[in-house]
Amino acid sequence: MRLEHWLYTLPLKLRSLFHRNRANAELAEELRDHIDRQTRENLEHGMPPEEARLAALRAFGNPTLIRDQTHAVWSWAWLESAARDVQFAFRRLRKAPGFSTIVVLTLALGIGANTAIFSLVQSILLRSLPVSDPARLYRIGDHSSCCYFHGFQNSDGDVDLFSYDVVRQFQQSSPEFEQLAAVQAGGGSYVMRWGTSPAKDLRTEYVSGNYFTMLGVNAYAGRPLSSSDDVTGAEPVAVLSYSAWQSDFGGNPGVVGSTIYLEQHAFVVAGIAPPGFFGDRISPFPPEMWLPLATEPIMEGSNSIVLQPDTAWLYAIGRVRPGVNLALLQAKLSSVLRNWMTTRAAFTANGGAAIIPRQHVVLSPAGGGIQKIQEQTGTGLRMLMFLSSIVLLIACANIANLMLARTMAQRTEIAVRIGLGATRARIVRQILTESVILSTIGGAVGLAVAFFGSHAMLTLAFPLSPDLPVSARPSSIELAFAFAISILTGLLFAAAPAWVSTGAQPVDATRTVNSSSRDHASIPQRLLLIFQVALSMVLLATAFLATRSLYNLEHQQMGIETADRYTVQIDLKGAGYTPERLPALYRSIQDRFSALPGLTRVSFARYLPLEGNEWGDCVILQGHPTPGPNAHCFSDWDRVSANFLDSVGVPVLRGRGFTPDDENGSTQVVMVNQAFVNRFFPNVDPIGQRFGVADSKYSGAFQIVGVFADFKLTDPRAVVKPLFLRVLGQQYSGYQGPGMDAGETNSLYLNRIVLEFNRPQQDADQLVRSTFAQIDPNIPVNRVTPYPEMVAGRFNQDRLLARLTEAFGILALLLASVGLYGVMSYHAARRTSEIGIRMALGATRSMIASMMLRNAFLQFLVGLAIGIPAAFFASRMMAHLLYQISTSSPLAFIGATGLLGLCALLAALIPAVRAASADPMRALRTE
Amino acid sequence: MSKPSDLVQGTLDLLILKIVHLQPLHGWAISQRLKHISGDVLQVSDGSLYPALHKLEQQGWIQSEWKPTENNRRAKFYSLTRLGRRHLEREAANWDRISTAISGVMRLTEV
Repeated sequence: MRLEHWLYTLPLKLRSLFHRNRANAELAEELRDHIDRQTRENLEHGMPPEEARLAALRAFGNPTLIRDQTHAVWSWAWLESAARDVQFAFRRLRKAPGFSTIVVLTLALGIGANTAIFSLVQSILLRSLPVSDPARLYRIGDHSSCCYFHGFQNSDGDVDLFSYDVVRQFQQSSPEFEQLAAVQAGGGSYVMRWGTSPAKDLRTEYVSGNYFTMLGVNAYAGRPLSSSDDVTGAEPVAVLSYSAWQSDFGGNPGVVGSTIYLEQHAFVVAGIAPPGFFGDRISPFPPEMWLPLATEPIMEGSNSIVLQPDTAWLYAIGRVRPGVNLALLQAKLSSVLRNWMTTRAAFTANGGAAIIPRQHVVLSPAGGGIQKIQEQTGTGLRMLMFLSSIVLLIACANIANLMLARTMAQRTEIAVRIGLGATRARIVRQILTESVILSTIGGAVGLAVAFFGSHAMLTLAFPLSPDLPVSARPSSIELAFAFAISILTGLLFAAAPAWVSTGAQPVDATRTVNSSSRDHASIPQRLLLIFQVALSMVLLATAFLATRSLYNLEHQQMGIETADRYTVQIDLKGAGYTPERLPALYRSIQDRFSALPGLTRVSFARYLPLEGNEWGDCVILQGHPTPGPNAHCFSDWDRVSANFLDSVGVPVLRGRGFTPDDENGSTQVVMVNQAFVNRFFPNVDPIGQRFGVADSKYSGAFQIVGVFADFKLTDPRAVVKPLFLRVLGQQYSGYQGPGMDAGETNSLYLNRIVLEFNRPQQDADQLVRSTFAQIDPNIPVNRVTPYPEMVAGRFNQDRLLARLTEAFGILALLLASVGLYGVMSYHAARRTSEIGIRMALGATRSMIASMMLRNAFLQFLVGLAIGIPAAFFASRMMAHLLYQISTSSPLAFIGATGLLGLCALLAALIPAVRAASADPMRALRTE
Repeated sequence: MSKPSDLVQGTLDLLILKIVHLQPLHGWAISQRLKHISGDVLQVSDGSLYPALHKLEQQGWIQSEWKPTENNRRAKFYSLTRLGRRHLEREAANWDRISTAISGVMRLTEV
């Protein structure tokens, strides 16, 4: 029955879909045939020809109506009427190219900005790792501390960094994990040599042997790491990332199974990770090589951290079996951790035992990887998402206003159509169709904007990270997002004109367009303007705040001079230098570079100010006991050449600076910064005092010879922390135990050089490399960066936030001004005759202008009244993105109000003046 | 009025099916037949036949075919499908039952 039904109807349905024109022609022919036959019949009955035809038509009824009614019973009638709506809408839009272009461009910017930011949000905050079943991955720990920790971690007892020993304890005690892996929290790099190709620096990450098994990731070529690789004595192996294989090994498949050298140690390349796999977290600098934890002692020798069970430096991430109770698992892991701690002197000594009961872990979902970059960029991205959606709302309000003015201008046309029998639903549908078409085109153009936008944003935020595993190419989710907001905005900005048009009366058609009769549009138009002013206020205030904050960051007193200085990053350990050979090498570098024309100073340091790296220890004053676990004894320390402070322009405040003699001297001299003095010697003259690190038995190790001015070492936002400097070459020989000794030896390698020139350099990079080639071609020069550029790099994300909020603010200002101008001119035009009458009755031009301005001013004030509290609220969201500026800074609010007021005044003044300068006679004649 | 009421519409469909059941006919001929059979009872315009015809065709009860007619002309002929025949039989039976019932009731009131 059903089948037979389709048998008869399907051809007909297809025909009426695909051969619409022929079907229409046949219907017309059929109806004409009927009338012809009836006419002939009438003729045969003896009617005169004219009469015969008329009678036939009379009997038939209205042929057009019949045709339409017949049409309506056909299949696809709805489709046809929709197609006709679309056609009609296109025709109307083509007739108004200016209007259409403005709407499409406005929308493209709004939708493009939103899609671009959404694509970043999606690929950074919402994305899962490209591994199998990421939903079952959990991490033990919910912070992202880094990179090495000794003793207790957070004051609330939340622990997220572990030693390999602890992770093994977790593995043994929790079968709830199918696999539990350990991954290095920080990352390092080693100089790699392969065959005859030049040495390269590859980023590495130590992982436990079950890392790839836990993630469910296989090798692209060769094999992934396995647990048997992660055993002391096993042959050292490495897995390369796909992109490293492509760029550093030229995609040569022969590398699998071959031997490479890391520093001087032989490793076999076990395999290559699949393309798209970027490790266990989204990072600007994803690892290029994964090494088993068991090989760490090979690389680091006696400095190895794997061999120090009390140093926490690993994250634990695992795959949980289905159906596991996470709360129970978390409690169990916490107690495993506490039990382990009670067996360790490092935790129980000096009153630590009392703190152990507070220690615990928190399980966190790790399907998106370790949430490090997410924590760093999350607030900023969410803020941008919020701001860009406000831009879109303003764009919508603006377009709604334009549409409204357009609808009002077409009131006569609409009234005529209603008079001719168009239903109101049909008119509304027409307006909606038109807006959805506009917004869809806007969305398509917006996608292009989004693509370039997110690309530009990524380059701005992470300029030195070509390997960042975040793509700017729109995914299907982003396409869907863009499409959805296009449709949504289309409906949003059509709502007001659609509502107004339903009030059209056929009788309006008989009135003239310019009549000052009751104005449906005026209330929604005013509301939209107020809305725009309020939202613009929010954007401008946040733009002011972000810009000011960036200015504060960049122009703060960092405490160092960077102009005309270049930083050079080398790797002396990787080049095979032993500590004994270092002093001669430093001298040789010093001599060679000093001989270069225009070079005024060469200095060395282990860590550079504002490079982003630091090293520290617990400071113990001479004769004091080893402090308890929660004591604030931490101080950064750095090793520098004697002329370093001079070379970065840091003044000595008290005592003396280092001299070249100190580099060879036997007294262990140190310099400390003002913050160090404030912390450890608040009431004592620090000069001549002694202190040590780590344990009270070393507390007499160093003697303070001078105090230097504070400068920012790592975080430009933070207050300066205590810092002490030791001088190049001085090795403290009193340390006992291999760990302390190895650390001391390691600190002798000064891999950063500051070159100060007396004039700007054309090609410093080439100069540095060729000079090093003369000194020792084996020394890899990893990077040559102008010092100001390196410091500016610390503010990339702040700059991005500031630039984008500025762009949004300017866009909002522009849209709001155009909107106000449009509405004001429209009102002025509508009131032309009224103005003519007023002037004829004696109103002066200034009275007319002020009447018009008063109107605009009122809307502006109401907009401000809503906008200022809203901006206040929005700026609270970005509180901790701001540096040294209060979220309620009057500057931002006064500045935003002033700027907005100025633009509003201009936008309102021009139409007002134009209206006032009209000739009264001409104004009266417009009626 | 060119648009027949619901009652008439249902009846009109049935009448059309019955008429084309006898032989395939074009639109004008069907309308002539309708007038002839029903006299002045069905007060509808000629044209309102066409929406009804096309609707029946869309439902698969009748099918159409262009055939040559006298004087080198052609016309669209409608004929009943197997589906339509079954539908007609069912509707006719229904009609009989209802009209018997109604006339029974009518007689009752007369007595």
